[in-house]
Amino acid sequence: MTNQQKLYWPDEKITKGDLIDYYMDMADYVLPYLKDRPLSLHRFPNGIKDAGFYQKDVDTESAPDWIKTITLHAASASRDVDYLVCNNAATLIYMANLGCIEMNPWLSRVKKLDNPDYIVLDLDPENIAFKYVVETALAIKELLDKVGVQSFCKTSGASGLHIYVPTGGKYNYETCRLFAEYVAKQVQQDLPKITSVIRTKSKRNKKVYIDYMQNSRGQTIASPYSVRPKPAATVSAPLNWDELNDDLAISNFTIENMRDRVKEVGDLWKDIDKTKNDLRKAIEKVEEMAQAHVE
Amino acid sequence: MRAVWSGTIGFGLVNIPIKLYSAVQDSRLDLDMLDRKDHAHIKFKRVNEDTGKEVPWEQIVKGYLYNDEYVILEDEDFQEASPEKSKIITIESFVELEEIDDIYFETPYFIEPDKAGVKAYDLLLKTLQKTGKAGLGRFVLRTSEHLAIIRPREDYLMLQQLRFSQEIRSPEELSFPSNTKISKKELDMAIQLVDSYTTEFDISQFKDTYHEELLKIIKAKASGKRRTVKKLKVVHTKSSDLFSQLKASLNPSTGKTTKKRAS
Repeated sequence: MTNQQKLYWPDEKITKGDLIDYYMDMADYVLPYLKDRPLSLHRFPNGIKDAGFYQKDVDTESAPDWIKTITLHAASASRDVDYLVCNNAATLIYMANLGCIEMNPWLSRVKKLDNPDYIVLDLDPENIAFKYVVETALAIKELLDKVGVQSFCKTSGASGLHIYVPTGGKYNYETCRLFAEYVAKQVQQDLPKITSVIRTKSKRNKKVYIDYMQNSRGQTIASPYSVRPKPAATVSAPLNWDELNDDLAISNFTIENMRDRVKEVGDLWKDIDKTKNDLRKAIEKVEEMAQAHVE
Repeated sequence: MRAVWSGTIGFGLVNIPIKLYSAVQDSRLDLDMLDRKDHAHIKFKRVNEDTGKEVPWEQIVKGYLYNDEYVILEDEDFQEASPEKSKIITIESFVELEEIDDIYFETPYFIEPDKAGVKAYDLLLKTLQKTGKAGLGRFVLRTSEHLAIIRPREDYLMLQQLRFSQEIRSPEELSFPSNTKISKKELDMAIQLVDSYTTEFDISQFKDTYHEELLKIIKAKASGKRRTVKKLKVVHTKSSDLFSQLKASLNPSTGKTTKKRAS
């Protein structure tokens, strides 16, 4: 461990040591969501006031030999890249020591890199109150419930919410992205005043952006229980669906109180990997409903 | 019930003093417009377009744009245009009720006789019941003239406002079937189908359920059981390009997966 006293959050007086302590204490909760997944390192060696940088390629020469990596061809860099894989607490602490405030895993695992385990919808508000993010999330949940699909929700820890649909890795990225796009567009049609599916900033001003594009190989998303490089050291917190109400706020979950929360409620997402949604059945359900709608 | 009109029905030498009551009511729920923020009532103000200042009711008149200038009409002008009709419904003729096409039927009103008119009212009612006819006349309600028939229903008289023929549009720009060949067999089969589905018309079987449902939702919300978000209406566009791509990608054996799509 190096520079434990360094202030990562100078306004809140939270140090690098505090971050490392958090990941040590929370390892049992953090690790299941990183296991066997390639990681992008988002490093903030000078704390959150400095722009951080992304590092995909780990220098296998200088890294300790107990660090696990996987070599993959990265289209963006058109070369082979050694991705870090974090399967134990030691690697997690190693990452935190490198200044990785948040953990950014792929949606698929090394054994089945083209088949993500989760479909993700990323709800990101642009100059619009958080309660509309909640409303959008509930509308998505309602649609998914109607077609018999189970979903899980967490705060992003930054400004929005993440909705995960576990698939058991049965479908490839394209199918997952199409499903996410279908859900996003259905809900957008229903909530046109408060949502957008268009990334362009001007098109989503004063809207909740429903991002379905994260469902691609190589894309990463901040994992459950990740601390975010944001003021107050907020954490991406798995939620119970009934917590999506007017009291919900990103700032409710921080590096300070997350340990108490998991002691109290446990891992609210513990069943996510046991849940294997059947998209074919969901699609049939949509067709039945469309039929009923016509009749 | 409050009368919407009072006057007389006149035919021949007989005048029957009566009152009209609306026979129908809206089944819509009475909803108020509120500010989402604090639930304050939304108020409408009649404002002067030039000054932006509110104008009191007594200062408001009705005008008609004529040769680029407004001609202001007063209450007397409206009355003068139809002096008798605004107080009397003159039955101009009697017609067979069956001859009137339903398309002309508009708002129905109950007719109640004043004390002095009970006998004449009953006479007219009995006569119409016996002959199967309806009295046709004109009357003015508020500021417009209406054609109306007076007809018996159960043991009272009704006034049924009728549309004028110029209020009915012509369907000539639409295309309807012509020259299709239908065999006797087809027609017989269709008739047989209709016969087997024929029931007695019982309107009490049909309720305006939408507003009942809405009321249920209101009650559930009031009791805190329902969150205050808009109900998702599932308009499943399964015919869309996106849906078929999704379906094809889930069933690679039956369809080709598209590798790239412009989004």
